[in-house]
Amino acid sequence: MNASALKWWETIQIAWSKYTAYRLNFFLQVLGPAFVFFFIKYNLWSAIYGGDQDILIAGYTFQQMITYHIWAMIVGLIAQGHTALNLAEEIRLGKISTYLIYPFQFWEFHTAHFIAFQWLQVLTSAVTVLLLALMSLLTVPSFALILTGLTYCLFVSVFWFALQYLTGLLGFWLEETWILRVILQIMTGFLSGAIIPLDFYPEKFVQFLNYTPFPYLTYFPIKIFMGEMNQIGSAYGIMAFWIVLLWLANHLIWKKGIRLYTAAGM
Amino acid sequence: MGIKHYAQVYRGFVSTSFTEATSFRLNFLLLIIMDLFFYVSVLATVSFIFDHVETIGPWNRTQLMFFMSFMLVIDHLHMTFVSESFWMLSTHLKTGELDFTLLKPVNSIFSVFFRHVRPSSLCNIFVTWGLLIYYGRQVPLTTLDWVLLPPLILLSFTLLCLIEFIIASSMFWVTEGLGINFLRMQIQQLSRWPDYIYGILSRKILTIALPVLLIGSAPVHFLFDKSRYLPLGGMVIAILGSFVVLRWIWARGLRRYDSASS
Amino acid sequence: MISAKNLTKQFISSKKKPGLLGALESLFYREPVIKNAVESFDLEINQGEMIGLLGPNGAGKTTLMKMFTGIIVPSSGELKILGHEPAQRHKEFRKNIALVMGQKSQLWWDIPAMDSFLLLKRYYEIPELEFKQRVTEMAALLNVESLMNIHVRRLSLGERMKMELMASLLHSPKVIFLDEPTIGLDLVAQENIRQFILDYHRKTHATLIITSHYMADVQALCQRLVLIFDGKKAFDGPLKTFETILGNDKIVSFQFADSLTEDAALFADFSPVYQEDRKGVELKIPLEKLRAVTSEALEKFDITEFNTDKMPIEKVMKTLMTNPQLLKRHSL
Repeated sequence: MNASALKWWETIQIAWSKYTAYRLNFFLQVLGPAFVFFFIKYNLWSAIYGGDQDILIAGYTFQQMITYHIWAMIVGLIAQGHTALNLAEEIRLGKISTYLIYPFQFWEFHTAHFIAFQWLQVLTSAVTVLLLALMSLLTVPSFALILTGLTYCLFVSVFWFALQYLTGLLGFWLEETWILRVILQIMTGFLSGAIIPLDFYPEKFVQFLNYTPFPYLTYFPIKIFMGEMNQIGSAYGIMAFWIVLLWLANHLIWKKGIRLYTAAGM
Repeated sequence: MGIKHYAQVYRGFVSTSFTEATSFRLNFLLLIIMDLFFYVSVLATVSFIFDHVETIGPWNRTQLMFFMSFMLVIDHLHMTFVSESFWMLSTHLKTGELDFTLLKPVNSIFSVFFRHVRPSSLCNIFVTWGLLIYYGRQVPLTTLDWVLLPPLILLSFTLLCLIEFIIASSMFWVTEGLGINFLRMQIQQLSRWPDYIYGILSRKILTIALPVLLIGSAPVHFLFDKSRYLPLGGMVIAILGSFVVLRWIWARGLRRYDSASS
Repeated sequence: MISAKNLTKQFISSKKKPGLLGALESLFYREPVIKNAVESFDLEINQGEMIGLLGPNGAGKTTLMKMFTGIIVPSSGELKILGHEPAQRHKEFRKNIALVMGQKSQLWWDIPAMDSFLLLKRYYEIPELEFKQRVTEMAALLNVESLMNIHVRRLSLGERMKMELMASLLHSPKVIFLDEPTIGLDLVAQENIRQFILDYHRKTHATLIITSHYMADVQALCQRLVLIFDGKKAFDGPLKTFETILGNDKIVSFQFADSLTEDAALFADFSPVYQEDRKGVELKIPLEKLRAVTSEALEKFDITEFNTDKMPIEKVMKTLMTNPQLLKRHSL
């Protein structure tokens, strides 16, 4: 391994040990919400279907609805699990100065953390899928579908990371950035089909949503896993467009922010 | 003796919270927007489901919308009067700043959990109460129901606070309290849906052992059907019981507190 | 007033092996490590005393202060302050004490100091008139009248520390604990704070317990010193006694106009340490011989400068901290 790869590898390892050191935190902050969310939705839809296995609601049987929400949980874990919580804090507390001295840059450090986190999420997701399959709540799809879905989810997670990174960078100007992140989370949950399938939404509204990145974050990948999606190419294209856009924005904001930061001598 | 002193201290909490909040104007605005987004997403979700079904369990659209807005009112009170303090507690435990709170000649449960008020959330009071009144009229509620509504909301809010204070007290036993706040939020999530959606076992656990389902379901069931007053009694017992548990666990927590050294 | 007997505080932490395997192992088993932060500590303090609590980092000073203020609960032993057991955190007790920590802030960061003071006024039920009088008086003494309405986060460390002091003294506590009140401050700010504390003590006769790593603080403020090493009390007595516990010798240094060609017989008995260029020497002279030796040296040599140790306690502290075994020998 060359020196640069070694730096990345070391940082990833440190990130792992951090996550396991605060394992209770990791569980409560990342996995807990996903599980509770699924638990509520499972109960809610059981009550709505009232034990009837045959009726269709917005085109879903009960089993399909549960499958939808299981994949919603998995997609949530992999594609939207990462929160760049400490990024803004580091900026606000002036810890960023350390990175200006290090031979390892700020974005590299946080990206390494993101990569480490994604490994853990994929692992947790695999275990979750396995458990749910053993409980016969879920029929495991073909390996090809899993691979396609996982790849797409990881691609979406890059978008999500770039977005989180952007809100973090606003810490240069804002006292608190968590509010922005919560707004994003609420909007994404509602508009991406994570709470209920988009098929429930008024048609006009969904048509409008298709012009935003939201449906491609949760609804699309769920449909991939369920084997009902064949426009993967265009979804990749749209996500790629947004990723590039966010990357440019981050680049610009960082440049502006760091100038402000060094000028203020914080 | 105490009441007047505590009222005065609380006035101080409110006034410092206002001073603090108004110095970050953008945050102030964003917090209002955040709450509004949340209200919209909750109500629209339920509404969209009802576009495809007639009833959820025993309730129709208006009844469930009323329940949802009831819970939004509780959530609004929670956001305004206590939520900020939970996050401060986890920070202050980590930095040891809790020391100063403990030194003050005021009950520490009070000065920890009621220290911060969110003035921005207060601005949304018209939204949540407006929604509650709108759906209440559609149900429709009787005059007696309208009279009962405020005290029932107060009761629900009290129970929610006590349960959350107890959960937050566990921060004394962990190295990093942030996760506990997420646990607390998840438990609150459970209470946001009516009790009948849960299976028998989980409903029993969440009504008796960890009585979060009483928060919304007990008073709303009672409003719709006066013969269901028993859960309301259970709620009063749960409040009294939680209060005792809170005092006990808080005292234990303080003994455990080792004040992060400087 | 303050009376501690056999006071002990244990902290339990856990050991963890490094690496991924260690992390996995710690999921199931963590080896507990018990540390006595304070051990069998006895202390009696009378009303109005100013006490310096000294010791190296991690010796247990802050732990002791936190037990005194009721923030943490002793593992065993007895502690009575103002007739109260601090751990009970009785309201009357809390109304009569104050804790100032140089490393932590009790002022709310995002609001002006005055707003914090107003809240404290409510906490401690300070009557309006008294409150106004105290704020005006202290603000004048500390020269911070113009800073009262500025957000605390915009103040310099020195300014903030003055505000911290004011915040802690608004309710006229009878016992005041100051944990490194001058840490990180510049020399002038340190001097200001010291002067203020002295003034305050003269006026109120409050009991003050101070920890500091700056011997200038101790020299200026404390009549009595308590030394804590490794959680145990190592010395308790007047400042004067402490200065001489390693002997009555004074450290004296001479500088000569020309290099000495040979060792002087006059200095031989006083363990002389010559400078490399032999233009200076440091001696340890017993107090009773100090006069005689100095005047003789002044006569015999062409002396350009001579010094006696200005701050003997600093030297004593340094010696004790590097050689803690000396304490045992002196069996204080």
